[in-house]
Amino acid sequence: MRRREFLGFVTPSVLVMAGLLVLPLYQTIVWSLQRVNYGEAGEYVGFANYATALADPRFGQAVLFTVQLTVVVVIALIIFGYLLAVLVNSLGRSKPFVLGVLLVSYVVPHVVGGAMFSWLFNSNFGGVLNYAISSVLGTDILWFADAWPNRVMVALNTLWFMIPFAMLVILAGLQSVPEEILEAARIDGAPTWRVHWHVIIPSVRGVLGFVAIISIMDVLRTFDQLVALSPQAVQLGNESVMLYVFNVAFQDGGQQLGLGSAVNVLLIAIIAVMLYPFIRGIAREARHA
Amino acid sequence: MIRSRVRTAGALALATVATLLLPACGAGSRTPQATAAQVPCEFPAPPQPVSVNVLAYNSSAVDPFTNTMVKSCTKNGLTVNHEPIDFAGQVQKTTATLAGPTGTYDILENYGFVVPTQAADGKIRPLDDLVAKYGAQYGLDQISPAMRKVMTYDGKLYALPMQAQMYVMAYRKDVFDQLGLKPPTTFAELRDVAGKIQAAGQIKYPIALPLLASSDIITAYDSALGSLGVDFVDAQTKQPNFDEPQAAQAFEELRSLLPFMDPQVATFDQPAVQQQMYNGSAAISIMFSGRMSDLTQAKNNRFAQQTAFAAPPSVAGGEALYNTLSVDGWSIPANTKADPELLFNLIAASVGPESSKAAVPAAYPAREGSVTADSSPYAAAALESIGKAPAAEPYPWTSRISNEIRPVVADVILGKTPIAEGQAKMQQLANGVLAQYP
Repeated sequence: MRRREFLGFVTPSVLVMAGLLVLPLYQTIVWSLQRVNYGEAGEYVGFANYATALADPRFGQAVLFTVQLTVVVVIALIIFGYLLAVLVNSLGRSKPFVLGVLLVSYVVPHVVGGAMFSWLFNSNFGGVLNYAISSVLGTDILWFADAWPNRVMVALNTLWFMIPFAMLVILAGLQSVPEEILEAARIDGAPTWRVHWHVIIPSVRGVLGFVAIISIMDVLRTFDQLVALSPQAVQLGNESVMLYVFNVAFQDGGQQLGLGSAVNVLLIAIIAVMLYPFIRGIAREARHA
Repeated sequence: MIRSRVRTAGALALATVATLLLPACGAGSRTPQATAAQVPCEFPAPPQPVSVNVLAYNSSAVDPFTNTMVKSCTKNGLTVNHEPIDFAGQVQKTTATLAGPTGTYDILENYGFVVPTQAADGKIRPLDDLVAKYGAQYGLDQISPAMRKVMTYDGKLYALPMQAQMYVMAYRKDVFDQLGLKPPTTFAELRDVAGKIQAAGQIKYPIALPLLASSDIITAYDSALGSLGVDFVDAQTKQPNFDEPQAAQAFEELRSLLPFMDPQVATFDQPAVQQQMYNGSAAISIMFSGRMSDLTQAKNNRFAQQTAFAAPPSVAGGEALYNTLSVDGWSIPANTKADPELLFNLIAASVGPESSKAAVPAAYPAREGSVTADSSPYAAAALESIGKAPAAEPYPWTSRISNEIRPVVADVILGKTPIAEGQAKMQQLANGVLAQYP
């Protein structure tokens, strides 16, 4: 490829990345060091916004809740996404139909899905699941007012709308596993679980890593569904980092853009730390490829 | 064997699909009826076609005025644009549009709580000169002086009142009659009545109040404090009143109602309280008057015929009721590029006699005489309620203090923070805000 052709292909992507990624990131870092109101020039305050955030116990609780939610949901996503992908992969002619229906929860806007999901647990709006679970347990569960039931509900909702993505990507990975290897394992008498554990999963390890990376980034930015599912999030300690940013910096016309930016920079650091093992693994594989 | 496996896998996959689709069950929507009157909206045709953008949240009480403006004033080369939005969205967009030298919106739906803050910052335009020029044409002398006062800051009018909301108590008359009860006039009576309904065994949690921890709970506390005769801040000394005994009493009184309310009450906004009345899971609710129209409609509420209305109780028997007077009106942003006289014609037309009349009973218009005791099933209760509402606090710090102390108020009412500790925190937060208003 000639140098001019290379530049012709690469330049548009670089410009788009710079405009949509680098510039906003730069502005976020600048604002994190300023006191900023909408439409006004910022005033430099050093690391005061970071100090405010780090000194706030609510921020610490928000980080803890968000990281816990991410770990639990990502592990569940990989396990159940894999099982679901295996199920769908074994389907015959109904596979496209099932795939299409499974994707519904993925394309529903999170806040809408969250509202619908909340009605399953809200006795005020029918609460089918609440009724069923309460009948079995013989006690009322306060899904919206007790911390742990609320966390379970939020985690289930996050799993509900993200599992189609995990399933779809893992399904693509399963379809790339050579049939000959599977056939050889079966001829050698390996039971089904050993075929999955020793043959298929190692073959799709890169795909599982990709699902983990994307899922970690998505779950760490949890926001929309909490509006419907956790109206008492602050009091329950179920405030995500993004909800904390909204509540502290923007709610009711608040204008703490500097504080909001500082928390966002801290969130980027948390994301980087959580992604590091996966990115290192991918880089190592790339070196050995 | 293979076919059996495929069948099993198919069944499992379909079960998963059903699980994923289950949350869609029960989804529903309710579209408010369009209530637009055609009223006189007179203005000279602009030399060039003009578009005016209106920011106003959708509710059954505000829609009649917005719809009337759009319908009656889109003519002579003028297009009035209004996009549906909820209240939280309006709050966010108001901050954004008022921020810079130019904004997206030319007319803002506004409310008394935030008008002083925006006026003090020079974000909205005083309207006195325009009221003087066009007052006779649109009969603006009929707009309630009390509501104009709520929209006045530093002696100038910053929003033309459109309608007001005040707390009204809705109760199940059939339940009350069956148990020989009368509508409570104090919190002590409210506890007594609720206890008897609870003891009768039909309704486990008889009282429903909007106490959503992220919003309504601060209005509830403000209403209780106001009923005890105390403001958030002493306007003369600029000292917060959260260290006063009434500040603790307001918490105690609100907390005393908790045994009679759903344990998840701090997650309930006004629609959720309405739903409790629709379901029959509550027998008494206190909400803003704009929510009462829905309760009277049989298509919403299967107990519509059995629902009666009264003024809310006072907290401790004083003259002022457990109540907040919230006045809505139209403001003109200081940064609009549109002709303020043109804009004022639009907002004055929308609060004229015809549109105010058409807005009843969904709204309580600012135009005096629009509501009489016969206007709706809850009109008499609204009239009594507005006459005994605690005075508004039209100061720029009021809304900021409210936002700052709201999480503390929620923690105290939910019992996570002791009352004295909460009072100290609120006093400290309020002093922090007041320090910015020397």
